[in-house]
Amino acid sequence: MTRTFMVALVILAAAVVIGLISLRGLRRHMQRMAVPQFAEEQARREVLAPPISTASDVPTKAEIFWAAGPDTLAPVEMELPLSADPAVRSKQLIEALVSRPPTIGQRTLPPGVVLLGFYVLSDGTAIADFSDTLASNMPSGILSESLAVNSIARTLASNVPSLRRLKILIHGQEAETLAGHVDLTGFFDLNPAPPASAPAAVATPPEIPAPHPVPAAH
Amino acid sequence: MSWARERAAVAGENKSALLDIGRGRGSGILAAVRHYLWLMIFLAAAAGLADQPAFAGQASAQQPPPAAAPPSPMIVLDPAHGGIDTGARGENGIVEKDIVLAIARTLRAELERQGFRVVLTREADTDPSYDDRAAAANAYRYAILISLHIASTGKPGTVRAYYEQFSTPLPPPASPAASPAAAQARSATPPPASLLPWHEAQQPSVAASRHLAEILQLELARSFAGSPAQPTGAAVRELRSVAGPAVAVEISSVSVSNAEMLTGMAAPLALAIGRSVDAYRAGSVAVPKS
Ligand SMILES: [Zn+2]
Repeated sequence: MTRTFMVALVILAAAVVIGLISLRGLRRHMQRMAVPQFAEEQARREVLAPPISTASDVPTKAEIFWAAGPDTLAPVEMELPLSADPAVRSKQLIEALVSRPPTIGQRTLPPGVVLLGFYVLSDGTAIADFSDTLASNMPSGILSESLAVNSIARTLASNVPSLRRLKILIHGQEAETLAGHVDLTGFFDLNPAPPASAPAAVATPPEIPAPHPVPAAH
Repeated sequence: MSWARERAAVAGENKSALLDIGRGRGSGILAAVRHYLWLMIFLAAAAGLADQPAFAGQASAQQPPPAAAPPSPMIVLDPAHGGIDTGARGENGIVEKDIVLAIARTLRAELERQGFRVVLTREADTDPSYDDRAAAANAYRYAILISLHIASTGKPGTVRAYYEQFSTPLPPPASPAASPAAAQARSATPPPASLLPWHEAQQPSVAASRHLAEILQLELARSFAGSPAQPTGAAVRELRSVAGPAVAVEISSVSVSNAEMLTGMAAPLALAIGRSVDAYRAGSVAVPKS
């Protein structure tokens, strides 16, 4: 009885010691994980935050789409120094959309939203990477979320004609929705593609189906 | 009745086409995965295709014109959010997930009184996935999904109807062999319905959903002063996998001072929905079939 009790006590003590050691290790590990994440976000912002004004900027009359009622947008013309480069120009426009609404009532995006990155692919696809604030501080609802997305899309479409469609990322990731309603897994239309150009000179013969199915390699 | 026959015929064709594609390809896990995908695609396409001819008035020539009104649709009411997803929250403690469930229950009672068949995508404070909600509607041969929301914004007491809006696919890069016209035609043609991915199951029903939303929004404007006369197209996540007519209805807003202001809108909303579904069905059957 006493011996069994002693053995149990020793095992329990050992378990407590092991638990304490591993807990400390776990906490250190968590701290290690947390710090670089924050630093990474900081570094990302610093690297990606462009000099919003560049030497080649030209004062341009831009149309920024802010709210004009609960479910409508209206363009507000304002003179902005804008770059000719589509990505830089888009950043400048979104920066104005976020930070310079004429009145609070015209705001479509939550204050404090940061555009972490903006990329333009060769097919005219624009990728806008916003900070978490866009999703976390967005009033939830189809009405508010679609107004927010439309204000971004229409501002870009109106002032950057080369952009065809827009993809919105949240903190570098594809989000399922903005704040529970508007789908961010797809693209938003910007400017329609111009009519297809003349066919290229070099033509390849159309693919002819093989008479017998070719066994597929696995 | 004939709608059901037509749908069964279309569904049968799809199934054989799908089976043909599958024959003699792969095995093991791949085959199992493919089988599962086809099943999902088939269900989505069958339901989507089934509703198409009646709208477009393009029923196949072999089918006789309908002798009676089309079957009453199953109205699938979707109280959005639930569980840990509260949806919109108002300063006065009004929570979207609770209000939409209360409204859905009243709507069901009222619509059943009007003679409709109604099911809910959730009966309690749970949060079914978007796919589960879509699947609840896709399980029926002829269903109309109505997703219910309370907005954060908008003039209190107004109601808006939304239909799904997909982005336009970019034209493929100019192929040397293809003429520009062919390339344009290819980009404009939706993928064949039998190969429709689950996440785009709503694609063939967008016109139908829009038509329903237009009828409904007119009724909403009549019942709830200040509501717009036209519905809005938006990328509503809940609608995209529904293979049939689907709309979202959003009431403004969680900013009201007490919940009764919102739950009290359920009875007139039920009347508006009932009238819209009737008008939509009447419009569908009025299209003469060749
Ligand atoms: Zn909602």
